[in-house]
Amino acid sequence: MATNGQEAARTTGTPAKKKKRSYGLLAVGGFDMPFLILLLLVLSIGLICMFSASFVYAYYNDGDSYFYIKKQMIFALIGVVAMLACSCVDYHWWHKAALPLMGVSYILLIIVFLLPSASGIRRWIRLPGIGQFQPSEVAKFALIVLFAHMISLNQKRMKKLTVGFWPFLLVLGTVCGLVVVEPHLSGTILLAAIGLVMMFVGGSNLIALGGLLALGAVGAYIMVFKLGYEYDRILVWLEPFESYAGEMRDQAWQTVQSLYAIGSGGLLGQGLGNSRQKHLFLPEPQNDFVFAVVCEELGFVGAVIIILLFAALIWRGFAIAMKAKDKFGFMLAIGLTAQIGLQVALNLAVVSNLFPNTGISLPFFSYGGTSLVMLLGQMGIILSISRGQNRLHQDLIEE
Amino acid sequence: MAVSDKKGTPEIHTRAPVRGMKLRAAAVLIFVVVIAFGGVIGKLFHWQIQEGDSLQQEAVAQQLSDTVTSPNRGKIFDRNGSTLVESQLVWTVIMSPAAIETDEDRVTIADDISALLEVDRDTLYAKTQKTYSQFEYVKKKIPRAKVEELAAWVSEKEMGGVFRVITDYKRVYPYGSLASTVLGFTGAEGTGLYGLEALYENTLAGEAGRVITTQNGWGEKMPNTLSYEKTIDATDGSSLVLTIDQTIQHYAEKYLEEAVKATGCTNRGLAVVMDVNTGGILALAVKGDYDPNDPFTIADPDVLAELAELSGDEESTARSAALQKQWNNKVVYDFYEPGSVFKVFTSCMGIEEGVANESTSFHCGGSLTVLGRKMNCHVYPSAHGTQTFAQAISNSCNPAFMNLGLSIGAKNFFKYFVGFGFTELTGIDMLGESQVTSALYYDDTMGDVSLATNAIGQTFKITPIQMITAISAVANGGDLMTPYVVAEELDSAGNVLKVTTPTVRRQVISKDTAARVSAMLAASVNGGGSRNAYVAGYRVAGKTGTSDKTERPEDNNVWASFSGFAPADDPQIAILVVLDEPHSAIRYGGTISAPVAQKILADALPYLGIEPVYTDAELANMNSATPAVVGKEVNTAASLVKSQGLEYYIVGEGSTVLKQVPDGGATIPKGGQVVLYTETTVADKTVTVPNFEGMTLSQANQAAASSGVNILIKGLVTGASGDPKVSTQSVAGGTTVPRATVVTVNFIYADAIE
Repeated sequence: MATNGQEAARTTGTPAKKKKRSYGLLAVGGFDMPFLILLLLVLSIGLICMFSASFVYAYYNDGDSYFYIKKQMIFALIGVVAMLACSCVDYHWWHKAALPLMGVSYILLIIVFLLPSASGIRRWIRLPGIGQFQPSEVAKFALIVLFAHMISLNQKRMKKLTVGFWPFLLVLGTVCGLVVVEPHLSGTILLAAIGLVMMFVGGSNLIALGGLLALGAVGAYIMVFKLGYEYDRILVWLEPFESYAGEMRDQAWQTVQSLYAIGSGGLLGQGLGNSRQKHLFLPEPQNDFVFAVVCEELGFVGAVIIILLFAALIWRGFAIAMKAKDKFGFMLAIGLTAQIGLQVALNLAVVSNLFPNTGISLPFFSYGGTSLVMLLGQMGIILSISRGQNRLHQDLIEE
Repeated sequence: MAVSDKKGTPEIHTRAPVRGMKLRAAAVLIFVVVIAFGGVIGKLFHWQIQEGDSLQQEAVAQQLSDTVTSPNRGKIFDRNGSTLVESQLVWTVIMSPAAIETDEDRVTIADDISALLEVDRDTLYAKTQKTYSQFEYVKKKIPRAKVEELAAWVSEKEMGGVFRVITDYKRVYPYGSLASTVLGFTGAEGTGLYGLEALYENTLAGEAGRVITTQNGWGEKMPNTLSYEKTIDATDGSSLVLTIDQTIQHYAEKYLEEAVKATGCTNRGLAVVMDVNTGGILALAVKGDYDPNDPFTIADPDVLAELAELSGDEESTARSAALQKQWNNKVVYDFYEPGSVFKVFTSCMGIEEGVANESTSFHCGGSLTVLGRKMNCHVYPSAHGTQTFAQAISNSCNPAFMNLGLSIGAKNFFKYFVGFGFTELTGIDMLGESQVTSALYYDDTMGDVSLATNAIGQTFKITPIQMITAISAVANGGDLMTPYVVAEELDSAGNVLKVTTPTVRRQVISKDTAARVSAMLAASVNGGGSRNAYVAGYRVAGKTGTSDKTERPEDNNVWASFSGFAPADDPQIAILVVLDEPHSAIRYGGTISAPVAQKILADALPYLGIEPVYTDAELANMNSATPAVVGKEVNTAASLVKSQGLEYYIVGEGSTVLKQVPDGGATIPKGGQVVLYTETTVADKTVTVPNFEGMTLSQANQAAASSGVNILIKGLVTGASGDPKVSTQSVAGGTTVPRATVVTVNFIYADAIE
């Protein structure tokens, strides 16, 4: 790794002996190769699985089995380019971008309500010629950057509620509030989870955080069991097959079809491409439930290997964070890695019915061009953070 | 680390993450990777390894389509191979609401398809809303033409994938209500519900086939690489060949229906024709019946009118009762009191047991008192006086037969009662034969009063099928047969699988007894009390009966019946006609039921190729065919007419016959008149048809001769006693017609007894 870093440093042409330097726009140093390799591995497997899962659905809905994979491949290429580009940008630049980015996010989250809805749901903004994207995705990124920024500035005083709790809660509350009324429950849960994780890692008052969690749990309990909000979803979660056999067949359809797919996989799977459940039983298999098809085709063994790959990727992101030489880099890497980890965990939990069906995509696997580009761009930031460490190593060596 | 922090760089860049932050981050990592991912892996282990097999089974169940292929239900043929029932290929339309793309399409489908296929629009619209569903029935059993219309609509609207059709069969009864009581009908699912369709369900149905294929979520076939297909062919049902003869069935239904209508019969009528030598049913008619193509419609307009005045539960109860009534097979289901027809069997018992013979004389004083109970003859207060056995039958004399019964004795009477099969099922292969219970008859412990009334066919009940089976036994020389309607079963290729062999249950009486009773019965028809059943050229043996419905004496209803067989000297077919609750002015069996039998026999006997044997008297009364003489020279024409035993009457001065009335080939009585026109300019000679109704034979002949019309006489019995009068005529009195027009006049013996 060190060798890589040195080579990378040479190729970037940074003068090796310059000790006094300001952090400019350009990141220097070699980036973390294991992370990149793991990332490209996950991305490649994800593309193959998404292709297999979407093949039949695309044929019936678009008349072209390659409809989704063609688009996704293009976005993956753009995403890799974006990732490399981001890796070359010194991550400290995001300090300056933190507040404007959050501002843009708020504007986008409000714009989405001014656009025509798709059957009562306002989640997407359509960009002509590119596709559509979710402002909540932008907000998620902005939140990570802003929280990293805020924590790194105030880390010592984070225990104070006025510094380390209420301002964060204000941002998190407003963003989540805007997203939940879209309505976009899974986006809200993910945002809240990322925000809380960052606050927790950043050193917010644990009692306050604990209180917030307890309040949230009580609130959720009241919402679901007393007010009946999303009660069907909970019922389907608890008794998927009974619901499927009874009056809630429609609501339980996706979950049960997912479990049929997973179960059909057995230990070793039906073989890549041989899912039967993707033949129009599992709704939109290229999206949130792509992993069910993976389980059916690759079996328990294949599914566990993919989960372990994700775990390795997350572990590597965490390792990069640990080695970050400043709190901003640390928090940024933790936030971005936590985002991947939480989203993967939440998606897999939904697909395997460990968690109620909320509709959340699987990073690098689920179809979605703009989100893939954004995700890869964010991975570029982690790479950029890793470059900083290598630079530092080099500085130390040269000293 | 501190190196880069020294000079002027912002503080934030220089502060490395503190230990606490790293620890907490590690905690998050552990939570996500170990707890969450571990939990997911655990859950996957549960679903894939522990529950894998059962989940896969359920998945496979939905991935495999198990399509049932309908077998072609067997046909039913009459004994000559004419198709009475068959199945036609029809189509059932299925919709896949999941494949409908827009709400506008849903509205279009609801609007257009409801009109096209004649289904309820709102119901259809509701089905289009079931967006998860791939299988909704739209309409079952539509004909090919509708399928084509639908296909055109689908291609015009580009909605391929939304609709598809599957083939099915529909039961078709090409002759409508003909033999409906025998055939029965099938329900919506093609299963027999009534009649032979129900009784022979397993034979006719065949076995459904199955096609198991892999299918996708829309119910379509999966691509070949993943597909699996297994076909189990359907086995078509077997066909039935009946003993029923469509032609005789038609005669029986036609004349029975006329009589049921003419007599205002309120509890339906029945007519059965049986082959006496085999027990095979040639015709079995019940009126009013129904159209098996549309069995749930009440066929009787009077009943419909009554229903229209009811409402609610009352209406639905009455409706279902009316449906049950039109469906059930009165011949095997209903009980009735045979009345005087039963005297046939009392006669058999008397002769077989030797207590009476042809020379035995019976006395009738107008009534008979048994154990202090006075029972009248039907001619009371008049009396038959002293009669021979044959006269007693012909007179249907009650005291004579009560005495005969008393001399036979209860023990012997009941022996034959059982012997003729009146206490048991006949075993006919028809649905719903009623079992006569001991509450309906008297056994050998009966007293004399009961014995006397039993001997004249009263105070007990039997089914019509028992009656005609027993009459057939008298006709065929004493063998009680098992009646049947299904002669053969054929496989779908027409190979004979099973043939019904006639079954003799037992010999009840001797051949000699049977022949002697037949002779006396023939005498009864040939001028006696049953003479309205007389068919010229055939010796018909038979007996009439009229019995009161005593359960509700206030209604004053009767069963009017006739049963007999022909030809009497070599019996081939037996017939039974029962009119239940007729409301005509005269409602004796001899007056209203015997003529039905007469008409059926008159058509059926020649149809069956049974050659008539005319007596001299009959020959003298024979009709003649008019020669075709148009274009012939007048004298030649006149001698031709004369040679046929007809009179001629020339109109005009010409030398060639230009026109004749009646036309050549018409049937008129011997001595009738043919008018020969020799000039075209001469107007037709016209005459006025007299009103013959109520006239005797000689009056009618006189009226015909003086008016100049030819009369064709029907319904008269050669040499019969009594006072026949004209009941109907084919051209109404007062009508102006060309001279020598043939008018058919029907005679009836209005005083016919019982």
